[in-house]
Amino acid sequence: MYFAGVDIGSTMTKTVLMDTNNKVVSAIKGPTGPEHRQLANEVMKMALEQANLQLDDISYIVATGYGRLNVPFADRQITELTCHARGVLSLFPDVRTAIDIGGQDAKCMKINSGKLVNFVMNDKCAAGTGRFLEILAATLGIKLEDLGDISLKSTKKVQISNFCTIFAQQEVVSRLSEGEKLEDIIAGLHDALASRVAGLARRLKIEPDVVLTGGVAKNAGIVKAMKENLGCELLIPEDPLLTGALGAAILAKERFSKATAKGEPIPTKPRRLEKATFFTKETS
Amino acid sequence: MLDKSKGLSKAREIYQNRSHRVKELKAEGKKIIGYPCMYVPLEIITALGLVSYRTYGDIAEPVTEADKALPTAFCPIMRTCLDCALKAKDDFLDGMVAIHSCDPQDKTTRVWQSYISYPYFHLIDMPGTLRTQSLEYFKGQLNDFKKTLESFAGKELPSDKLKAAIELHNRQRALVRELYKLTKPDPPLISGTEMLQVIKALMSLPAAEGNELLTQVISEVKERKDGPEKKPARLLIWSSTLDNIDIMQLFEAGANVVMDESCGGIRAYRADVKLTDDPLDGLSDYYLKEITCARTFREAVFGEARKDYIADLDSRFGYLKDFIRGWNINGAILFLVRYCDPFAFEMPSLKDYLDHLGIPNTYIEYDYTQGSLAPLRTRVEAFLETID
Amino acid sequence: MTTEQKKRAINRLNSMHPLRAKVNESYLKSVEAMQAGKPTVWGMLNYYYGDPILKAMDVEVVYPENYGAALAAAGVAQSYLDRADADGFPTHLCGYSRASIGYTSRMMKELNGEIPPEAPLGGMPRPIFLMASTAVCDARYKWFQALGRYMDAPVWTFEAPLPGVKELFMEGSYERMVDLGVKHARDFVAFVERMLGKKLDWDKLSETVDLMIEISQVWHETNELRKVKPSPMHSRDFWSSMPPALFLMGDLKDSLQCYQDMYDEVKDRVDNHIGAIAEEKYRLFFAELPPWHSLGFFDRLAERGWNFVIESFGYHPPIPLDMSGVSDPLERLTRFSLQIYVGYYKDAFEKNVPAGGMAYPYLKYAREWKCDGGFLHPLISCRSASTHLPYVSNILMERLKVPSLTIEGDIVDLRLFDPEDALSKAEPFEETMEHYRQIRRQEGFDW
Repeated sequence: MYFAGVDIGSTMTKTVLMDTNNKVVSAIKGPTGPEHRQLANEVMKMALEQANLQLDDISYIVATGYGRLNVPFADRQITELTCHARGVLSLFPDVRTAIDIGGQDAKCMKINSGKLVNFVMNDKCAAGTGRFLEILAATLGIKLEDLGDISLKSTKKVQISNFCTIFAQQEVVSRLSEGEKLEDIIAGLHDALASRVAGLARRLKIEPDVVLTGGVAKNAGIVKAMKENLGCELLIPEDPLLTGALGAAILAKERFSKATAKGEPIPTKPRRLEKATFFTKETS
Repeated sequence: MLDKSKGLSKAREIYQNRSHRVKELKAEGKKIIGYPCMYVPLEIITALGLVSYRTYGDIAEPVTEADKALPTAFCPIMRTCLDCALKAKDDFLDGMVAIHSCDPQDKTTRVWQSYISYPYFHLIDMPGTLRTQSLEYFKGQLNDFKKTLESFAGKELPSDKLKAAIELHNRQRALVRELYKLTKPDPPLISGTEMLQVIKALMSLPAAEGNELLTQVISEVKERKDGPEKKPARLLIWSSTLDNIDIMQLFEAGANVVMDESCGGIRAYRADVKLTDDPLDGLSDYYLKEITCARTFREAVFGEARKDYIADLDSRFGYLKDFIRGWNINGAILFLVRYCDPFAFEMPSLKDYLDHLGIPNTYIEYDYTQGSLAPLRTRVEAFLETID
Repeated sequence: MTTEQKKRAINRLNSMHPLRAKVNESYLKSVEAMQAGKPTVWGMLNYYYGDPILKAMDVEVVYPENYGAALAAAGVAQSYLDRADADGFPTHLCGYSRASIGYTSRMMKELNGEIPPEAPLGGMPRPIFLMASTAVCDARYKWFQALGRYMDAPVWTFEAPLPGVKELFMEGSYERMVDLGVKHARDFVAFVERMLGKKLDWDKLSETVDLMIEISQVWHETNELRKVKPSPMHSRDFWSSMPPALFLMGDLKDSLQCYQDMYDEVKDRVDNHIGAIAEEKYRLFFAELPPWHSLGFFDRLAERGWNFVIESFGYHPPIPLDMSGVSDPLERLTRFSLQIYVGYYKDAFEKNVPAGGMAYPYLKYAREWKCDGGFLHPLISCRSASTHLPYVSNILMERLKVPSLTIEGDIVDLRLFDPEDALSKAEPFEETMEHYRQIRRQEGFDW
């Protein structure tokens, strides 16, 4: 038996297929793009191919993320907060605080007794999300993936005082023209992002173990800045992008197992890969 | 067959086309008096044969006109109210009564009065505490309101007529409480969405017609076989005002909302006006003390030298404990409108109280526009997942 | 421009210095007194009401609002703001309140009531009670109530009634406001006596109230002198000199003398046609709270000929009131306190400006102090000092053809105010002011 988790984030779509032993048999990541409604089935196809499976082999499918309502073949939608918490817990059993910095949002989750107990989100403002770095990297003419390493060369952080992404761009240009070093400015940008996210996290009382996930966690400069701003150690998964989809797959298995054990009927959607439309309501 | 002339269908109908009845009444020669806040004593309006009508803007209407008079970082409810007024959406109103319950209302209505000259306008001042002198002052303010309204209506308001209006409105309050009893069963017999439509209907009808509607709804709901589906979470919503079913439906996608403690729910109907010799005593006492909006400064014991935090919380929020126990509530959403200061300061204390009672709760902020529905959905769903 | 010339951009009053020094002296004395164990009360700017009573009882009053400004200016507010955030207070709330909530949280939860060692300017000691007020905005009394989460100190809330403009003139309405004020001032006296374990000296109260009224009278007359062209006193001098009057600082007889000296100096300038700046090209009013940390900005505008002739009506003394028949000090105090807003109502009523308290004063200011423009400074987290500004801008243009320039800022996030940006808007605004001067002339206005 296999289970699937589909995480449609604002920037990246991720799918994880898992077997009954909680082993990940395939994992696919791809950029979401504007047409994410069409994308979910594409990514699922790729995941199935990679694992050499058919859609009918999947017993239960959970969709999560900002686009979770647009996965017609998903049996259930669960928020990314619960899914990330579950995914992180499976990788780091002693986690109490999970922080996910996504492309367009930042989430902090409090975990206790094996589940999500509290959360805060920022999805209104680009500052404190991956978008902040994307925009600033473009302003500086640097590749996003190079930002982290450059920032680690810095010996003196340049304080970026504007908390708004748009104004930060102007500030960065001024600083450059004033002769500040690129690596120092980038370190300052990382610090600005980290301080926003740390402020969010502190509303939940930070307790170890603290785990950082999301695409931005691959940036060594951010990891350093987050550690400084939070004042504690951080654990980071091998693939920080997959925790949402992983958690969704685990929850799929749990739900399925629980219902089977109770002898309850398990409503599932027809196993057809289709694009989402605005109109039909599935009658199953 | 759905009979739109009575009960829940009628309430739904009225919710979608709120001003229909008052426009009919206006054509018959009645005068319509608008009010933006549940602190305004409607009894005085009713007693003089005028029709009261609650204004609360429109979350689907982007605010544009109000920008010339109010900044964007400001109570979005008052902004939309002013915006709709400036766009002549409620030009059937013959008058407006506002009250200094909070700064945004006070400031907005003064500006409102500058831009729109209603034939009648009155601003009632309201004290912030419950002291004896404050009550006296408030009574004087209500008396002033009565005087100007008498002048507008062209007749005096004798005491017995006011007492009759108080009884009529008390009857409405009792009927609303009776209807709320029908959310006690599991699943509740009436949904939060349907309740909201009924309450909004009450705010769009003369009191007597509202009572008739309530009576129909109560008997319909008692008999019904098509009530809401049972959901694992039974929620209390705490908010300043909740006037839109889009939001309520979001809460109810995964839960049963069995109690709505807001000015779109039970707040204005929770208690009755006491019948006093001088009806203004009963009215000033009720409106200042019994409407549980966060704007009023309440404390356990006046000027107490040593404070017991939990006792203080219990004196401020104890009535919620009754709801929680009586309605078997297992979760609460503290639903705050952005830029609302009284509720924002009150919220952490209420959180402490709910934590003390062991009720899972979450605070969600909202800016009263259609655009913020999607993030709201995620937060509500995530909260329900934590208490699952 | 040399430093010499820069320094002379605004011709500061000599008599300003002793008043400004009083603020620091007073503050230091207060810190000493508190360190010596004198009881402290946390209060707020509330247009008097309870302050004279506390002064007559010899209680040290600390103002968390002012301390919030000090924290912001010292650049150390952030850690307290973060704490308030972590404690669950939404971020749109007033910056001063969040800073003091964060401070109190630190003091009570981590330091057992001791003043945090990192707190600048001696910090704020734990109070025996808090004196709040409904004046000015909702946030204030709810903020003090929220502090009750951390401290075992009772909160006493003063009512500051605020009726509608026309509603004030209904029969008995004003008298009922006075009645409310007097009765609860009496309750407050009883409360303070109980808290301190000693009786109020009513003669001392009478004296305090009378001095307060007298100071206010002199200060009012001084500001009236600024109506002439060129205006002899710049807003910077107003802001530096107002705290002793507004907060009843130090020895009141001494304050009275200082304000009388200021009146004399300003009168002297008027008689000799001496202005506050070298060449007065434009006369401006300022609303509402100035950027305390960036006041040098006004010197740069002064170099361009901008004289700020009147400002911040909320800080101004009330329009004088005849209280010759009133002998009860609590009644004198109440009438005086109500007068802050009510003083403008009669005029606002006659001129049909319903937004009486908050916007009408600027109509009066623009007309009587002959202003060419308004400089409006909305503050993102202080709604009470900002919400009336769009309306002020409109009504000034509509009724008086006086234009306004709006430049944003904040009370604790000081980065929001950008002086460079503001200066770049000054030049085009000068053209606007000149244009409307012509318009006013055409329409028969006399300035």
